[in-house]
Amino acid sequence: MKTVRITGLFIFCLLFQRPLLRAQTDSTGIYLRYILDGSDSLCGVGISRLVALRPTEAFPLLRAINDMRLYRLNGQPVTPQSDEPTAIDSGKVLLLSLLPPYQLVNDDHGHPATTGSSGLTEVKISRGNRLLLTPVLPLLNLFSTTPQKRILAYSQLQQNQQIDQLPYLQAALAQETDAEALRTGKDIYYSLQLQHAQHAATARAYIDSIVMNWSDNAATMLRTYAHNGTLGKDLNAYTAQQAVALETRYDRLQKIQNFFSGLSLGSILILIALGLSIVYGLAGIINMAHGEFLMIGAYTTYVVQCIFGNIFHSHSDWAFFISLPVSFVVAGLLGLLLERLVIRHLYSKPLESLLATWGVSLILIQAARSIFGDLTAVKTPTVLSGGWQILPHLVLPYNRIFIITLTTGVVALTYGMLYRTRLGMQIRAVTQNRQMSACLGIETRRVAAVTFFIGSGLAGIAGCAMTLIGNVVPDMGQTYIVDSFLVVVTGGVGKLAGTIVAGLGIGFLTKLFESFFQAVYGKVFILLFIMLFMQYKPKGLFPDKGRLAED
Amino acid sequence: MKKKDLIYYIIFLLVFAVILPLGHVAGLVSTNTISLWGRYFCFAIAALGIDLIWGYTGILSMCQAFFFCLGSYGIAMHMLLKTTAANGATVPDFMVWNKIETLPLAWIPFQSSGLTLVLCLVVPALFAFLIGYVLFRSRIKGVYMAIITQALALAMWLLFLRNETKLGGTNGLTDFKTLLGFRLADTGTKMALYGLSLAVLCGAYFLCNRMVHSKFGKVLLAIRDSESRISYAAYNVNDYKLAVFVVAALLAAVAGMLYVPQTGIITPGRMDVKASVEMVMWVALGGRGNLKGAVIGALLVNYLYSICTSLFPDSWLYILGFFFVITVLFFDKGLVGVVDMAWQKWTAYKLRRAAIS
Amino acid sequence: MLLSVKDLAVSFGGVHALALSQFSLRDKELRVIIGPNGAGKSTFLDILCGKTKADKGQVFFNDTLITGKTEVQIARLGIGRKFQKPSVFPGLSVYDNLLLAARMKKDIFSSLFFKATRELNDRLHQVAEKVGLVPQLQKLAGSLSHGQQQWLEIAIVVLQDPKLMLVDEPAAGLSTEETEKTGALLLELSNDHSIIVIEHDMQFVQQIAKERVTVLVSGRLLMEDTFSVVRNDQRVIDCYLGRTNPQLEII
Repeated sequence: MKTVRITGLFIFCLLFQRPLLRAQTDSTGIYLRYILDGSDSLCGVGISRLVALRPTEAFPLLRAINDMRLYRLNGQPVTPQSDEPTAIDSGKVLLLSLLPPYQLVNDDHGHPATTGSSGLTEVKISRGNRLLLTPVLPLLNLFSTTPQKRILAYSQLQQNQQIDQLPYLQAALAQETDAEALRTGKDIYYSLQLQHAQHAATARAYIDSIVMNWSDNAATMLRTYAHNGTLGKDLNAYTAQQAVALETRYDRLQKIQNFFSGLSLGSILILIALGLSIVYGLAGIINMAHGEFLMIGAYTTYVVQCIFGNIFHSHSDWAFFISLPVSFVVAGLLGLLLERLVIRHLYSKPLESLLATWGVSLILIQAARSIFGDLTAVKTPTVLSGGWQILPHLVLPYNRIFIITLTTGVVALTYGMLYRTRLGMQIRAVTQNRQMSACLGIETRRVAAVTFFIGSGLAGIAGCAMTLIGNVVPDMGQTYIVDSFLVVVTGGVGKLAGTIVAGLGIGFLTKLFESFFQAVYGKVFILLFIMLFMQYKPKGLFPDKGRLAED
Repeated sequence: MKKKDLIYYIIFLLVFAVILPLGHVAGLVSTNTISLWGRYFCFAIAALGIDLIWGYTGILSMCQAFFFCLGSYGIAMHMLLKTTAANGATVPDFMVWNKIETLPLAWIPFQSSGLTLVLCLVVPALFAFLIGYVLFRSRIKGVYMAIITQALALAMWLLFLRNETKLGGTNGLTDFKTLLGFRLADTGTKMALYGLSLAVLCGAYFLCNRMVHSKFGKVLLAIRDSESRISYAAYNVNDYKLAVFVVAALLAAVAGMLYVPQTGIITPGRMDVKASVEMVMWVALGGRGNLKGAVIGALLVNYLYSICTSLFPDSWLYILGFFFVITVLFFDKGLVGVVDMAWQKWTAYKLRRAAIS
Repeated sequence: MLLSVKDLAVSFGGVHALALSQFSLRDKELRVIIGPNGAGKSTFLDILCGKTKADKGQVFFNDTLITGKTEVQIARLGIGRKFQKPSVFPGLSVYDNLLLAARMKKDIFSSLFFKATRELNDRLHQVAEKVGLVPQLQKLAGSLSHGQQQWLEIAIVVLQDPKLMLVDEPAAGLSTEETEKTGALLLELSNDHSIIVIEHDMQFVQQIAKERVTVLVSGRLLMEDTFSVVRNDQRVIDCYLGRTNPQLEII
């Protein structure tokens, strides 16, 4: 049985490679000349002949006609690679040939030709002639230059369910380059074949192909077939079984995906809460403006990118990676300024500091709004766009992976700073007993200032990282500040380990609740959970013990 | 002390119970202004509650705006149902847009005005009781309390934003026409609501004043100063905290109930995290631990807000933020504290002058 | 026995703060507990008044088991606590401080509708006189001197009419004169109350220790005897006072 299936698959694969008929190509060339060189009526004849014959290799050409993007270079039909009109005007867009379909074209000097090349002329086709294309319009998009449009076109084919369109689908798939589009296309191809399969063995081969290909709606498709299939009970049972297997696999992958989202959310929370926790532990300051340092970090990233773009005219990824340390320093320095102006009067007065820093945060938000306007976005560096596709339905976005790595690095550095350096020892000493540390000759004010610098700087780094996953807006800090305070409270104040565990825990729980309920209810449940947790451990995960700790 | 209080009261009543209404009758003060001050009185009532819980008891609750909105939404639901019934519809417009055909269960009691009044008080009180019971029982205080109540405000705000809660989502509830049969658009109704708000403010002030000057108030101060000491003196601190938390929530709810008919709209924006902190700031600016301060702070900040937003709209947040910082840093006792200090300096100066001559 | 303790133990993060196999106190007894820093003296008082929960063991007060009860319940049974750091209500007047402490119904409604009776005022005055704070009655407690705050706190405890007073280092930070006055006050109070005093100041201990003195070391009971025996005991000198403790040599 198995061999039959594999053979079926093999034959099937051959179908894609089927050479196109030579004679057809010749006639296509003739009609092409009609279109490029002939009068309006001759051009009409050419188009209508092509529409009637539907040679697959002519589809890119027909599409270019329909989109009014047909150009001529050295007597050959060409089309710009990009869809954007402004990009075309800039003269820097590469040109693709239309016959043979979609290959780079060289100009007279042997360089790749662009829309700026000399000798490029637009071929105007009258509206009447373009209307001749109507019967093949759904098929044209199969040969679009953008994968999204192709995916859409594939899906439309499925709705029509016409077996006579199969050859075009085949031809399109033969030159498909995008992985996702290929999966969608193949899926539709198999399902069309499955619908029209006459024998149980063939059907089974297609079912296996569908399972192998594993597109988004594979499971639903199989379920429907299991329900409506006419080729025997056995086959239907087999289909149903495959559908269930697919769904289980999909669920498992979803869990991994959720786990990963939780990890990345937790990382962000840790990154923000780290600075908060250290500062609160050391100075008894609840810094409500901490979120605004995040915002400052994000805007620093934006400004660095603008500087790179406008002054050095460079769009390289370096802009982002350079802005990481720059964000740290800028946010840190502003934090230091805040410490000098406001915070130093409020040591060990958490509630007062909470209110005063809230005022500061209002000022900072409004300042950002005045300077930058309401919405700006930072371009994600190309290295970090896209994702790591482990399995068909398991993609780990690079930007999230980067954030997790960044957090790990920052946590390790902070840990090293706190437990391996002299400064860290002083910070821990002041955290435990301010007066005693002062008596031992530690300049508590200086230590506090440095800590504040580091804490704010960490928020700045977090802000820089946040530009990877969202827009830069003046009040972006507010979104995360309450959550990160919850992390601090749950983890226990001034406890690095507590912050990490609580950050990850709240990250995971949020994603877990979100997968059961909607996002908002997830938040409510998190809060209820934390309140219950505080019943049990009011001082956080890792409380101090002893008599002194109880006041 | 007593004499100075009296001066405050006389000035307050003179301005708001005599001059403003007379000005309106004489055509010098617009109905809008009157209605505006009516709303500020509501804020002042809520501020009294915050002063009780924060100024006197030392518990920073950052979810008072939520209680305020519970009261507001209750009345708003009632008014909306009346308006809907008057239009001959079964469910309010926004539900029609959200394809809800039958009135949700939670809305049904709000068809009756009596039940609405009861629920507007009972629901916030119950919420406060539950939240307070859980938090105080586990001895959550200080910053932890502030952060958890803030998170609570955030969660509730998110909940009210959703359409699934069937409370109008982001757009909130609006388009009310009548309250207890009176048309809201009428000047008479507006004046009556202004008067009612003023009366409730005075009543609430009187009750709170009695409360803080009784032994109960002294226990509250003692809890603020040294919670452990007062519990070793055999006071059940949690009961007291819970009581004052519920009272503060009730004051906020009453304020919310009076507020809605005067603005004609209530949205979740009234209960976001910012709203609660701002309420606390009114009290801080006016002078915490001082009921007069709470009232003055609420009235003044909101008055300033309406002036600033019309004169220089972009700078309001700068001004507010600046006041926040300055007050916390340098004027611990708020405006009333500053005035008191100036008064003391002046009397001392007068005494010295008298001694010299 | 007014107070009896069995096998009491508590540890903080693996460190045994207290492991007391046996301790008892007569009615109207004034007991002084001494011991080096970290001997578990304050922890012992913390357990007695309910601030710290014991890991194991029982404490009986008037034949009632009080381990596991809350501070308020224990306070109602008649144990009053004076802390090491003076803890009064700085924002209230001395009179209000005393009023809050006085024995009466302390639920919310009684507080809301409370009216001071003549009897109560007399009692407050009487106690204020005992600790010498009558002239300061209307002043804010926060404006009192350190010594006055100590006495105010003692007065607060006295007003609760406790059967047992737990007094933690009453002489810390006081002048010699104030210390002596405090000692006299405690002796006078011991006529009406049982008292447990923790103290470091040996002169002060000598002044008040008319009966037995308990010595704690590393959370364990070292010995229990009269002060004259204790101060000459070689073990006490070794492990608590040190071989060359100048204070002891003076005595």
